[in-house]
Amino acid sequence: MSSIDSIYLMMFMTGLMGGFGHCIGMCGPAVTAYSMGLGERKAAAHLLYSLGRITTYGILGGMVGLTGSFLGIAKSLERLQVAAVALVGCAMIVMGISVIGWRGFVTGPAPAFGGRLSALVFKAMKIVSESRGLGMYYPMGLVLGFIPCGLLYTVLIAAAGAGAAASGPVEGFLGGLVMLLLFGLGTTPALFMLGQLSSALSAKLRGRLYKAAGVMMIVTGVIYINRSFQ
Amino acid sequence: MSMSAGTVLCGARIAITALCCCLVLAWEIGFSAAEEKCDLLKGPCKKKAGDIEISLDISPKPVKAMERLLFSVSVKGGHTGETLFLDLAMPGMYMGNNRVFLKKAGDGKYYGKGIIPRCPTGKPLWSATIEPSGKTKVEFPFDVLY
Repeated sequence: MSSIDSIYLMMFMTGLMGGFGHCIGMCGPAVTAYSMGLGERKAAAHLLYSLGRITTYGILGGMVGLTGSFLGIAKSLERLQVAAVALVGCAMIVMGISVIGWRGFVTGPAPAFGGRLSALVFKAMKIVSESRGLGMYYPMGLVLGFIPCGLLYTVLIAAAGAGAAASGPVEGFLGGLVMLLLFGLGTTPALFMLGQLSSALSAKLRGRLYKAAGVMMIVTGVIYINRSFQ
Repeated sequence: MSMSAGTVLCGARIAITALCCCLVLAWEIGFSAAEEKCDLLKGPCKKKAGDIEISLDISPKPVKAMERLLFSVSVKGGHTGETLFLDLAMPGMYMGNNRVFLKKAGDGKYYGKGIIPRCPTGKPLWSATIEPSGKTKVEFPFDVLY
């Protein structure tokens, strides 16, 4: 096996091990949150979510491979990442509120209090509770792929190193792209399994237990928003 | 007293969800390894492994994540190879293979550049593991600023 092949294999294995040893802990709550109430479409939803995530990873890999610089790309992505974390945190809180069962608020008429903010929350909850079409999971994966992640950074550092050693920009770009695609592919089994388990779980949960899961989603959303301010 | 299979199944699934959330919360609250830390703010750290003495220094100081860092390693006894590597890891959390290759600069000294990625949890404890021989591994725990 050539050194190039071994790098690609290592990227896949890093994703596979990281999926179970890192991603389930760090991204598990987000996956659990979006998995609530998926019904029959859960497998397709989880795959589309992962495809979105892998697409983002591939783009990032191509960028660091092309430039041969991890720090430069990471610096330019900081604001986007802060926004992504805050967005995910907000979405999880809204999903949690929706799961807890403030359904009168979700399905009833728009509130006449609180002005623009409450109208915005109302609209968000409407979207979450009503439009759970498969089309939302790919863009959700795209956004979640930008969440700052130490494991992802480590792989990007390796891709930048490979890009810096490449014979040209095209080779650097393609190398980084493939490395990160393989990494993302490796992380998929763990998150897919967690998603499937969470979906099956949510179908069985009823009453107070289902509400407890909603509270956990809200707490996790607050943690994500807190992270975005750090 | 007998419990229905549905109740048991439901309970088990709740426990899995709770465990998942507790893992994240525990990580947020913090459970860092209670190891002796190398205070790299004060200078190089030395450790002995059999006949081999290894010292590690990281610059610039303070050691920060997401910055290009210079790792300086000095080996006395044992290793005389042209290259040496150092693995960066976060105790208690798999962070992938972050390997810094060090080049020999004579007199048992090795240098290499690397980056410590930022962890969104803000946990400061990292470790650098150097393997001067197939049988010996020396680990230097240290704090990183984010």
